[in-house]
Amino acid sequence: MIPARLGYPNLGLGLGLRTVHYQHILDQTPSVDWFEVISENYMDSQGRPRYVLEQVAERYPIVMHGVSMSIGSTDPVNFEYLHKLRDLARATKALWVSDHVCWTGVAGRNTHDLLPIPYTEQALAHVSERIRIVQDVLERRLILENPSTYVTFADSTMPEAEFLTRMAEATGCGLLLDVNNVYVSCFNHDQDPFEFIRSIPHERVVQFHLAGHTNCGTHLIDTHDGRVINPVWDLYRLAHQLTGGVSTLLEWDARIPAFPVVHAEVLKARNYMASQLPGFAADARSTASAPESPLEAEEISHGQHEPGIPQPATYATAEFE
Amino acid sequence: MTSQRHELRQLAQIQRWLQAVITHPDGVEAALSSSEARAEIDVPPDRIEEVVEPSTRRTSIERLEVYANAYYARLLECLHDEFPALLHAAGEEVFDGLAFGYLQSYPSQSYTLSELSRQFAQYLEETRPRDENEPSGEASWPDFMIDLVRLERCYSEIFDGPGAERLTLLRGEDLRDFAPDDWASARLICVPCLRLLSLRYPVHEYATAVREKQDPDLPDPELTWLAVSRINYVVRRWTLTRVQFELLEALIAGQTVGSAIERAAKLAVESGESVDQLAESLRDWFAEWSAAGFFLAIQHPFS
Repeated sequence: MIPARLGYPNLGLGLGLRTVHYQHILDQTPSVDWFEVISENYMDSQGRPRYVLEQVAERYPIVMHGVSMSIGSTDPVNFEYLHKLRDLARATKALWVSDHVCWTGVAGRNTHDLLPIPYTEQALAHVSERIRIVQDVLERRLILENPSTYVTFADSTMPEAEFLTRMAEATGCGLLLDVNNVYVSCFNHDQDPFEFIRSIPHERVVQFHLAGHTNCGTHLIDTHDGRVINPVWDLYRLAHQLTGGVSTLLEWDARIPAFPVVHAEVLKARNYMASQLPGFAADARSTASAPESPLEAEEISHGQHEPGIPQPATYATAEFE
Repeated sequence: MTSQRHELRQLAQIQRWLQAVITHPDGVEAALSSSEARAEIDVPPDRIEEVVEPSTRRTSIERLEVYANAYYARLLECLHDEFPALLHAAGEEVFDGLAFGYLQSYPSQSYTLSELSRQFAQYLEETRPRDENEPSGEASWPDFMIDLVRLERCYSEIFDGPGAERLTLLRGEDLRDFAPDDWASARLICVPCLRLLSLRYPVHEYATAVREKQDPDLPDPELTWLAVSRINYVVRRWTLTRVQFELLEALIAGQTVGSAIERAAKLAVESGESVDQLAESLRDWFAEWSAAGFFLAIQHPFS
């Protein structure tokens, strides 16, 4: 049995709840360990998305993952947003609430992107202060994710891994280690992703993210539009070994295939933890249901976003009759 | 403290600078020379490496372009998803031109993308081209597009806004059982998802055809009145006559049933309809509307 990390349990292998899979999940109740939901898609919803979330939350453990907290922004903290986030977490009995180490806008604007922070002492103090405020409002430990980034600042005085380590130590927050983001950012910044994984405080990692990305030759873009590539699985194996294993979630947000394809992809994770961790036996079903072939056209049930747009992209369109 | 204030100011400057650079409509290179960006960090394009480092494979400007390209692409994709009928009618190039202008005039200020298009119709009205040869008051192509935006935005708001799925609705028999003497001074409480639209084109038929993957012709102008609501979390619409529209509008506004009918009757008579004909129709209309779940309750005049 894997002990709880910072009080948060290891939920197993989960998936991001996406609109195109609503009906399948409600009708079939697939044997997924848990679901992660995009907070902003539900915190104001009084329609079908919120109704579906309530149904799903009755059947599965739920974790909330946000894209608009803007923890690094120099704009004032948006308390209205935080109160809605807290209320949604209470209503869905979300096990934890996460967002990204980034900022999304300034001067009252929201770019709806996860923008990079210069890793300086003052940015660290600023982010840490805001994490404390957020944790007070949410009345729980915040979990923060390393984003995919495409630039580095000349002003930075420390590596990202050190920033994350000191931020977590100063505030008590947990970390959501996005293994794909480590791979993407390290490729883009000429850094060693294995060294990154070794450098973070493993005892503070509460959750892993896995996803696909787009290789543009000179750089990688975090598009969440395909399978997890083998080098990312190798990083996952190392991260799993160093942390002892934590809740693992697959994100698939563009060119989303049918639910069984997405589910099979996350189940592959068992193959990368089994040899490292005696408590986890390889699951025959997962091995059998993990196709390696390229995605067939009919597997793609809904193309929300053209490949090439970095995540996040979260929007639920109206259903109409 | 001085040092901390200085460095925090620097963080704010970097953020304002980066936002100015990646949201500039003419791209990163133009943005770097813009007064908005240089007011924050006065660095010319050839010294950009003092702010953003290059990688072994990409220049600093190329790296910034990932964010700049993503900014508009992401938001345009959201608008494509929300306005499929406008996208079909206008074509991607025209649609993106309109949306690009909109995003510059009304950049997102909300944590949620569901607010992104709130002022899209207003923007199209404000920037509507005026053809001097166009007869005054006659509907034309820009009106068609504005009507489409109003309709599709209305669908979005009703889809995710407050509904009546968890409320007890008024049934037809509740209306029939209501004491006739009290009827005129009673008020009907409508469901929160009921909205009315007055349009210059029958864009609802066009939008439905697009959502059904058809390739409809552009319709001719025709004054159109709609009721849009939600049943079991799915948006639905009803075509109304002008008299029905006026009647429902008065009821939604909280007028008594009597004064709402009076308003409708006046309009019906102006349109050449007899009061008897209207009286005949009213029973059917209220029955249809209560079956469609338009009403939550009937408020007794003395309650």
